Amino acid sequence: MDPARRLGPAQIDVVAQLGVSTVLLGGIYALVSVGLTLIFGIMRVVNFAHGEFLMLGMYVAFWAYTLLALDPYVVLFVSIPLFFGIGVLTYVLVMRGVIHASHNVQIFTTVGLSTALQNAALVAWTGDYRTVRPWHSAVVIRALGMAFNLSQVVAFAIAVALTLVLFAFMKWTHTGRVMRATAQDHDAATLMGIDTDKVYRLTFAIGIACVGAAGVLVSPLYAAYPTAGLQFVLLAYVVVVLGGLGDMLGAMLGSLIVAAVEVVGSYFFGVAWKEVFYFVLFIAVLVLRPAGLFGQRGAETLGV
Amino acid sequence: MPLRVVATVTLAFVLVAGALLDTVHGQAGEYKIGVLEPLTGPLAGEGKRHLEGYEIVRDMINERGGVMGKKLVFAVADAPDPTAAASEANRLITREGVRIITGTFSSRLCGAASEAAARHNVIYWETSCVDPRFNKRGLTNVFRTEIDGTGFGWYNVEFIAKHLAPRFNLKPNQLKIAFLSEDSSYGQGVTESARQRAKQEFGMQEVAMEYYSFTSINDFTPIIAKFKQLNPDVVHHIGYTNDAPLFWRQAREQNFLFKALVHAGATGYGSSDFGRALGNDANGVFALLEPGPGFRLEALRPEGQRIEREFREAVQKRTGSYPFGAHQLAGGGLWLLKVVLDKAKSDDLDKFRDAVMSLDLPVGSVINGWGVKFAENGQNANERVQHYMLQWQNGQLVTVWPEEFTTNRAKWIPLGAWDQRK
Repeated sequence: MDPARRLGPAQIDVVAQLGVSTVLLGGIYALVSVGLTLIFGIMRVVNFAHGEFLMLGMYVAFWAYTLLALDPYVVLFVSIPLFFGIGVLTYVLVMRGVIHASHNVQIFTTVGLSTALQNAALVAWTGDYRTVRPWHSAVVIRALGMAFNLSQVVAFAIAVALTLVLFAFMKWTHTGRVMRATAQDHDAATLMGIDTDKVYRLTFAIGIACVGAAGVLVSPLYAAYPTAGLQFVLLAYVVVVLGGLGDMLGAMLGSLIVAAVEVVGSYFFGVAWKEVFYFVLFIAVLVLRPAGLFGQRGAETLGV
Repeated sequence: MPLRVVATVTLAFVLVAGALLDTVHGQAGEYKIGVLEPLTGPLAGEGKRHLEGYEIVRDMINERGGVMGKKLVFAVADAPDPTAAASEANRLITREGVRIITGTFSSRLCGAASEAAARHNVIYWETSCVDPRFNKRGLTNVFRTEIDGTGFGWYNVEFIAKHLAPRFNLKPNQLKIAFLSEDSSYGQGVTESARQRAKQEFGMQEVAMEYYSFTSINDFTPIIAKFKQLNPDVVHHIGYTNDAPLFWRQAREQNFLFKALVHAGATGYGSSDFGRALGNDANGVFALLEPGPGFRLEALRPEGQRIEREFREAVQKRTGSYPFGAHQLAGGGLWLLKVVLDKAKSDDLDKFRDAVMSLDLPVGSVINGWGVKFAENGQNANERVQHYMLQWQNGQLVTVWPEEFTTNRAKWIPLGAWDQRK
């Protein structure tokens, strides 16, 4: 029998390690997805350029580390306002023009933006793979037969914190309520005196700030290159659909589910199967629970 | 006949002959070939390095009289994906009027580009892709100077069975080997040929075989957990540039201990990006490549020594460093094109083909210490395209095998604990 499938006392370590891998990988996916679910949920815009902002975040961390010897965790504080600004600028220059256009136009626009950003990065920084090696990327914590990479643990902790902050912001602040109201009924919100353009601008900027921060946080773990965003963006869509559009906690849980499917599927069936498994899950959710596993019934058609 | 007439006729003859000779050596006119490389898109970094290798050897060729008495010039085209490779090959042929195309770095591109060339009966001279299917399509216009992927697998298993196994004090059939590979035609070509030879010729015990897509792999820990239980002696991993550092870093984190890791090709473990990503943690990894530092020029034949030395000096002058794999494949391949054209004196496909088939140079004769003997399908013989095992040693990939070609020796056999490889 394949020793990998034999579960005995000696395999408890393996199960524990798979659990740890799931949680840590889920943290990375949540980081990448949380901004996407916000933009998708409130603006109903499918942002295909989301991965490219992640890539830009990774490059910001790389250059800050290489030229100024700044640790990514220091860069994080700079990158959040920086990417907030990039988000505002992108909204004003690109997204505002297509926000009321059909979904097809929005898709063409964001795919165009994605390709433009990839090639701009290629021209500016070549196709080389760039890595950041701060001290914490090589630190491994070992406990109870499991191993944790310190950079990954930090990324997970920040993912959880970011999710909770955004969740609280959406639920309990006035601005959050205004954003949800705009998502639920754009016309009624306008009639109530809400400046929806301002809401969309803020939403887009927060979403891009989140993914920019994610780029900085994953830079010690994955190489930066012009198409690095593609590695994660497809997954982020699966997560957003699983969790329900615009649902922060749903995105966190969705990330953990996708990571679990990937880790367990890779161990028992082989890593070639992982995309089969989570896209089957993706299709099943779309067919059986179109609002997502944790989403409100009917929410999927709001405002469309 | 008056002496004056004789003198005049002689003088006229000397002048005409001189002018003719001058035409030959003075490169009257230019000869243009098409060069296809991915210069944008995900493969651009390597593609640009290949182009640099071509340009260096083009200048060397022109300093030595060009090709067919003309100055060699390039019509360069960008081929980021297979569709562009085919349409740009068409454009080079129909608009630029080239009769020979060379390229294309990637196994993703060479098939599409060479088929386009075949439709126009234009010579396709591949210097770097390794897809084994390239020469198995019955096309008479395609030639490849580099070995195919099966050659990579052949050399890797040769190294494992004849060099590593004795140093582990094991017989080849006692070796447990785990195969891990990205799933493009490159990874599959190398891996399948290695698996076959390892099993049939040496009876090695294959304990695992895992393929994955390098564009979407984010975590190797489940694979590492599985491999740890299977306890292989050797991990045969064909990886690309983002996944190879990820596997190695996570193997270290998980304290996965094995005796050796063997790779083939200029991507992944064979790329300078791997060393930059891991520093001294890279120590001990093997990658099958063209010759690197430590390579003994004296091991080559005299004519091979001369051209290899001149090539290295030209690369050093242009880039300030030792040639990278991309320079060596592109440069070595283009030099062979010159050798063929010197012999064929024509770009007519039949005459060109006859010249290719008549070449028979032993190992050590040309750039990279290669030899030449093409088969009817247009493939240079794998055993003539001598390859070398390089090992990461303190931030540098150095040549370690075959030992007669190098002054360096392979270290860390078997690989000890992760923090002991210094």
